[in-house]
Amino acid sequence: MKKNIILLLIASVIIGLSIILWLIMPSQHALSSEHKIATASLSQKPVGGNFTLTSASGPVSLSDYKGKLVLLYFGYTFCPDICPTNLGNLARAYQQLTPSEKEQTQILFISVDPDRDTPDRLKQYADYFNSGMIGLTGKKSNIDNITDRYGVVYAIHQEKPDETTYSVDHSAFTYIINKKGELVEQLPHATSSDVFTQQIRHFMTQHP
Amino acid sequence: MRFQLNFTSTFLTACLTIMSLNAFANDASAIDIDHAYIREVPPGAMATGSFLTLKNNSEQEVRLVGATSDVAKKVELHTHINDNGVMKMRQIQYISVAAHQETKLQPGGLHIMFIGLQKELKEGQTISMTLKFKDGSQKSLTIPVKSVMSPMNHMHHH
Repeated sequence: MKKNIILLLIASVIIGLSIILWLIMPSQHALSSEHKIATASLSQKPVGGNFTLTSASGPVSLSDYKGKLVLLYFGYTFCPDICPTNLGNLARAYQQLTPSEKEQTQILFISVDPDRDTPDRLKQYADYFNSGMIGLTGKKSNIDNITDRYGVVYAIHQEKPDETTYSVDHSAFTYIINKKGELVEQLPHATSSDVFTQQIRHFMTQHP
Repeated sequence: MRFQLNFTSTFLTACLTIMSLNAFANDASAIDIDHAYIREVPPGAMATGSFLTLKNNSEQEVRLVGATSDVAKKVELHTHINDNGVMKMRQIQYISVAAHQETKLQPGGLHIMFIGLQKELKEGQTISMTLKFKDGSQKSLTIPVKSVMSPMNHMHHH
């Protein structure tokens, strides 16, 4: 009888410890391995720099956000999977921030499909993500100049010449621009919202 | 003796049932579907993706060759190629599920693409979709609409 109680106690301690370990281990492991991939990708550093594009409420320049951390993503509204995945993660990261951190953060979405993405369509699309995100577009020559400087590659992929439902191949990195307007980091596709939050806080406190 | 006879006949019937199931088996009946959903669409977007897991319970490879749904003008099978960080979406002719294996359609990879949506899809709704297999058999599904903005929808996408 006594032996049984002792066995039961030992078993409960072991189960308890396993649960605690299970709760602690996987999340830390995921964060560190994802971050390793994230930082390894910035081998050739693009120069970045200022730009001016059009939003639904007029021209917007990167320099308008000096003093804020800017998260920049290039994509298109027709994009069925890659863009919503990234922007969803980014938006949920934004929603985890404190009100004061939110004030110091701006998400910009630049279209690489200026023919189909009008400023109004981009606004509707960006508003969906409920994170103060601003959608931007402009002349193709201007967009090409910006993508060159940020190391973004994109190409329209048409199966048939007159197809209107074409897709656009595009780099799926999220670029972090510090409060001084300098490009400091690029994070790969499908970066989790937790890693985004961690990175936003890291670069926010670097230049307070 | 009677008991034995009863037992034998039951056993034989069971064997025959299993055999006949196999004889009538087609691709659609060999496949189980798990974790199926279609993504809620941000306003202004014209396309969205559906994701699911195909589990093949048979001894042969099964190929998904297409899908249809009344919510979109076109439904196609697609994959993504990650070419040095450049995501390239390409239409494919079929999605293969090896014998006794699973094929996962998930964000960033294989998906069923809905182009030219006929109505706005909102979380909480369900839609109907029919999967078509290589042998001509079909499987009808009712799947939920899920949003990328709900944290709950990210619990099992590791």
